[in-house]
Amino acid sequence: MTKKKLLLILCGLSLPLQSMFAARLEVCPSCSYQTIHSALENASDGDQIIIKSGLYREGNIQVTKSVHLLGEGWPVLDGEGQTEILTITARHVLIEGLEIRNVGNSYIEDRAGIRLRNTRFCTIRNNRLVNTFFGIYLEHSADCVISGNEVLGEALEENSSGNAIHCWYCQRLTIRDNQVYRHRDGIYFEFVDNSQIFGNTSKDNLRYGLHFMFSNDDYYYENRFIQNGAGVAVMFSKCIDMDHNIFASNWGRASYGLLLKELTDTDIRNNSFRENTIGIYVEGCSRIDYHHNEFKQNGWALKMSGGCLDNHLQENNFIGNSFDLSTLASAGTENTFDNNYWSEYSGYDLDHNGEGDIPYLPMKLFNQIVQQTPEALILLRSLFIDLLNFSEKVSPVFTPENIRDLHPKMNPYTLNIRS
Amino acid sequence: MKLLTLLPFTFFLLLTACSTEPRPIEYGNEACFSCKMTIVDPQHAAELVSDKGKVFVFDAIECMVEHYKKVPDQSFAHILVNDFHNPGAFLNATQASYLISPQLPSPMGANLQAFSNLDSATEMQSAKGGQVLNWASLLEK
Repeated sequence: MTKKKLLLILCGLSLPLQSMFAARLEVCPSCSYQTIHSALENASDGDQIIIKSGLYREGNIQVTKSVHLLGEGWPVLDGEGQTEILTITARHVLIEGLEIRNVGNSYIEDRAGIRLRNTRFCTIRNNRLVNTFFGIYLEHSADCVISGNEVLGEALEENSSGNAIHCWYCQRLTIRDNQVYRHRDGIYFEFVDNSQIFGNTSKDNLRYGLHFMFSNDDYYYENRFIQNGAGVAVMFSKCIDMDHNIFASNWGRASYGLLLKELTDTDIRNNSFRENTIGIYVEGCSRIDYHHNEFKQNGWALKMSGGCLDNHLQENNFIGNSFDLSTLASAGTENTFDNNYWSEYSGYDLDHNGEGDIPYLPMKLFNQIVQQTPEALILLRSLFIDLLNFSEKVSPVFTPENIRDLHPKMNPYTLNIRS
Repeated sequence: MKLLTLLPFTFFLLLTACSTEPRPIEYGNEACFSCKMTIVDPQHAAELVSDKGKVFVFDAIECMVEHYKKVPDQSFAHILVNDFHNPGAFLNATQASYLISPQLPSPMGANLQAFSNLDSATEMQSAKGGQVLNWASLLEK
């Protein structure tokens, strides 16, 4: 046996020893500790505090030691609308199985159900947060995992709501498998780098399901964003890759499935945009690749505003959208559309190579009219507009020639998309 | 004769059409003119009304200032910000006091808040730290 192996075995043997030294402190009305406060006072680093089911009204609880707070049978920590509940400033803290309720709203402080401040290596998992102004609030923290939590807000008005999971100046976070409902933003990232967000469901939030501001090198995948004010907004950021997400049913005047503003160097693939007012709205974005996405039954599949360079759309499915594309005529040379499937395409394929023989022009004349005069939308689906579009298709005069797909597919792609 | 009776009515229409009054922001439904974010925060929202009555709404004071500085030739009938202590009540931006404090985040990352008077701005400054500004010094930032 080599020395190395022996060392490994010794290390393995000593691991259970460590947990033997960790004390178990139980909290319940008939236990040795009646309050979480008293248990925390007597705990030392590495201890486990088991909170038995019951109702605990202890106001704000400061966690300044590296302990595990574990709930058994869903104990309830109630803030009675007065205070923030858990404030964690120690490292290596684990919070699990708690129900946290009723944090009061405040204009001056951003109160939260669970706050992590200047800490690292903490885990918040499988908790239930109900009616907390801000749910889980991380500031100046790194290497934390937030997983399997349910954060249920009661936001009906925007001025009285916080964000479900709010991260500010953080590094290397993992946000996974959470359910966030009825807040201002479901998940909010401001100055957060090198983090991952996956498997979450964000629904019925007033503003955005997920919101990035000034954040770089993050990756989000396999999330669902449903019925939010707008699905996801990515702003003033770099390298935010996104794949296998679902953006659905984001309807409204200022609603988008995905809003991209001043974003660069990003890959957007295998996402599904269904039934949104605008699938993707792009403004001032460069070097973005969109491929293998599905745009289905949106008002506008894609709206591209000024200042967009090097946006490339390839091998996407555009199915049954009222408008496939709305953009400026000058955008054609800087942004490309190639090898996509467009359900509106009515060309032919004489050589049977699967590609249409004539290019598809996604910008219709009516589209341009609506862009200039939004009220003209009322004429959508009228015979007059159909005639207008048809005559324009036969002999294009107004539609920009340079915005076109030279190789439109005859059949939709089979895409690897979550249902 | 008939035309004469119509005249005051047309006059009335003309006058109301040129109203340069500010209007309340529809929170949750309107997008910021500058950054396109949906406006939800009445503590930080701002509004500009041009001399011809066109209303521009913003989700944050920093967005409003950025746009204001972009159009030096445009004149505005109203430059409005929300009072930090009294969200929903517009203040004249040129008369307000401002505080930039890293302890008080604002929607577009400038940590900028407006107060109705210098006293409440300095009071908040002593609690949270930061830098107190007036409209002129804010424009120079």
